[in-house]
Amino acid sequence: MLALGAVMAPAAGAAEKAFPYTYDQYDLANGLRLIAVPTDFPNVVSVYIVVHAGSRNEVEPGKSGFAHFFEHMMFRGTKRYPKERYEAVLRDAGAASNAYTTDDRTVYHTTFSKEDLETILEMEADRFQNLEYSVEDFRTEALAVLGEYNKNAASPMVKLHEVLRATAFDRHTYKHTTMGFLEDIKDMPNQYAYSRQFFDRYYRPEYTTIIVVGDVEPKAVRALVEKHWGGWKRGSYEVRIPAEPPQTAPRSAHVDWHSPTLPWVWVAFKGAAYSDIEKDQVTLDLISFLGFSETSPLYKKLVLEEQSVDLLGASNPDRVDPYLFTVMARVKKAEDVERIRDEILATFRSFRDQPVDAARLEAVKSHLRYAFALGLDNSAAIAATLAEYVGLRRTPETINRVFELYRQITPEDVQAVARKYFVDSGRTIVTLSARGAK
Amino acid sequence: MRTPLVLAMAAAMLGCGRTGERIRTLELPGTSPLVSFRIVFLTGAASDPEGKQGLAHLTAAMLAQGGTRGRSYQQILDEMFPMATAVRFQVDKEMTTFSAVTHVDNLERFYGLLREMLLEPGWREEDLKRLREQTINFLRVSLRGNNEEELAKEVLYNEIYRGHPYGHHNAGAVAALERITRDDLQRFYAEQYTQSRLILGVAGGYPKDFPARLKRDFARLAAGTPAPRERPAPAKVEGVQVRLIEKETRSVAYSIGFPITVKRGDPDYLPLLLMQAYFGPHRTSGGRLFRRMRTERGLNYGDYVYIEYFPRGMFQFEPDPNLARPQQIFQIWIRPVEPATAHFALRLALWELDKLIREGIPPEEFEQARRYLAKYVNLLLKTKDAELGYAIDSLYYGTPDYLSYVRDGINKLTLDEVNAAIRRHLRTRDLYIVGVTARASELADRLASEAPSPMRYNAPKPPELLREDKEVERFRLGIDRANIRIVPVEQVFEQ
Repeated sequence: MLALGAVMAPAAGAAEKAFPYTYDQYDLANGLRLIAVPTDFPNVVSVYIVVHAGSRNEVEPGKSGFAHFFEHMMFRGTKRYPKERYEAVLRDAGAASNAYTTDDRTVYHTTFSKEDLETILEMEADRFQNLEYSVEDFRTEALAVLGEYNKNAASPMVKLHEVLRATAFDRHTYKHTTMGFLEDIKDMPNQYAYSRQFFDRYYRPEYTTIIVVGDVEPKAVRALVEKHWGGWKRGSYEVRIPAEPPQTAPRSAHVDWHSPTLPWVWVAFKGAAYSDIEKDQVTLDLISFLGFSETSPLYKKLVLEEQSVDLLGASNPDRVDPYLFTVMARVKKAEDVERIRDEILATFRSFRDQPVDAARLEAVKSHLRYAFALGLDNSAAIAATLAEYVGLRRTPETINRVFELYRQITPEDVQAVARKYFVDSGRTIVTLSARGAK
Repeated sequence: MRTPLVLAMAAAMLGCGRTGERIRTLELPGTSPLVSFRIVFLTGAASDPEGKQGLAHLTAAMLAQGGTRGRSYQQILDEMFPMATAVRFQVDKEMTTFSAVTHVDNLERFYGLLREMLLEPGWREEDLKRLREQTINFLRVSLRGNNEEELAKEVLYNEIYRGHPYGHHNAGAVAALERITRDDLQRFYAEQYTQSRLILGVAGGYPKDFPARLKRDFARLAAGTPAPRERPAPAKVEGVQVRLIEKETRSVAYSIGFPITVKRGDPDYLPLLLMQAYFGPHRTSGGRLFRRMRTERGLNYGDYVYIEYFPRGMFQFEPDPNLARPQQIFQIWIRPVEPATAHFALRLALWELDKLIREGIPPEEFEQARRYLAKYVNLLLKTKDAELGYAIDSLYYGTPDYLSYVRDGINKLTLDEVNAAIRRHLRTRDLYIVGVTARASELADRLASEAPSPMRYNAPKPPELLREDKEVERFRLGIDRANIRIVPVEQVFEQ
């Protein structure tokens, strides 16, 4: 199957909470939030620090990709912990450490043995408050970002994703990918001053949530976080994300790929924002499985019977603002692309035309419930899962709420949501084929 | 909860009953609501018959992603879906692994399907057609077309092992895949999927009598003969051999390597593991090579070294278990560099390797690498499934459980021993360099010319780094133009 980004998981059983762990949620006076989750996996602790700012926050023109670039700069050190010392401490702790950036959040994560908890929390507190880097380091790191762009450039899916967003959105910052436009990446070495401003705006306690999961005692974690993070100063910046105007007509784009590859067809509709109160987004999730997963009639027809498509899947990721519901198919023969596109469109129509089978709907709910449970098999995985939700609502409770919503969805809800979102005026189709093949 | 492997081994010994006495089992009971399976057959791509490269892969695919005698693949998918589980498969040279994790709520239902899939395969023509095309598309499109880094790594292996049972990609070659018939699959299954080659691994919250049942069920397989434990040595590499895969791309991806005679359990394995932890641990920024190439010079996104096969490295941080082999290669992975710095980057990587061999690891860095490794192994084994996978590998290599093997072993090592092992096994000549690049003949001429490749930076650099660059830009790679072959990308994995 495809690597489909975050087709959202959950759906809780009636009796149990979907997120089965007890957690300690604690707000410091400066606005920083701590979520500590003791587990019975021994020795290991995972710290995920969520900054509630991602490429969605890149509101100024020419600054696409900056949140991600800044994530790189966070590893360039402070006065107390210059880069070399920072690395040495991590190595002494045998830690696995990394970071990632998405549309809505930037996440720094470290997994290590429990005896190093204070060392890690202290060192992290230092770089979040006292990051310092030279113009030279800044310009060098910009090249590593270009290197990252280069390593992604071989993938048609990365390109399709870029073109889909640029076509579907007009004003909202979801128009650009987290990686950013190539011309902006090339200009990054010249943006030192802006990088300091970016740090000043978003690397603030009110934009940050710390998640600690594993072999820990919540009281002790609270004390350590108060000690090392309590003095962090609150900021004042409030970002204004441009609202996306309603789309009024269907759109399309085509990518001419520079080397041999199989054609792709992506069909997208403007979707919903994440919500643990409104039913729209969870219903769209259920549709993504009903219509396009391995057990859907469309998959059966195209992948298993005709064998005209070798990869088929849907993506309906959770975002702070309304995003896209996308179906992706890799087609074996170029001449089939239009027919496959029409098959996908017909599937969308079917959700509008008649209610889905109740038993299939329940099977999807069961799938989501077990997929979520199977994902919580170690402390790092629990912390990683929490970071996704905490990035949206700043509390693990949102998981239980969203699962409860899944449970309530009926075939009638599915039809109503399909009628609301799967409309021609909200549609964007992007195709890709090798140069000369079309 | 982690179960000491000693107990698991004892359990394995006790498990030898009257039925299936050749089957080895590994049991890691626990209190988790999840149950992990790792069912390993000691067979794989090295057992592909000549002209049928990909047979091991397709056979495994037919079991994991095809129908059974009683059920179509679609029916299996429909059954699995509400449980959110699937049978994954991995084919390496000597091991074929079927793995799955299920919630204990669904154990009966899931195991019923798993047993049917592995013991009563359906061998349907439509499944073969779909899986054959899927495999060919994987080789031609996903790997050759859309992923330059994994491509360079896999070509490196194919070149090093040319003319050897390891000389083709684990998924096979296109022309051979096209020749494979259902008879071939059934014959391969009958010969290779036998009790003598089977290791049954189960971990987690399963009922007490479950492993015995598992073993009884699999005892219906033929007894078979044990898997080969040795393979011929690969051909000696003469000089610096360069293979440039010509492809339309905006950057240059490299993999460099040569065979080593060291595997897990050998006296020099842990010294080389320490070397790896110092010089280039996978996807971490603390390695020497990463620091010198990316952090200080911004040449690319990352640079790492390996002493064991690590496929799919660009998608994951930890290696998958059950890729055990009696022989391995040393490998350097250089992530894509800009064409303008492609010559310099290659020189810098080999210059650093040369320095490592000549000067060894500095004492303070040695201690740090040791501290790092001693704790980091904890993280490799953080799931029950990984613990089970590593336990199976320990059984294969005849080593103690991985955690104590590494921790106890590296504590006894001295810096001199490690540096001596580095000198014994590493080198900067007699190796393969694989590059994926556009305008390959231009790069070939530059590499063979040995002309200086000065670096230009977008920011001031410390004088010692610039002095060092002067040396690096003239570092002799020792490449003879006659040892550079340019391969059009369309030819890779075809034959």
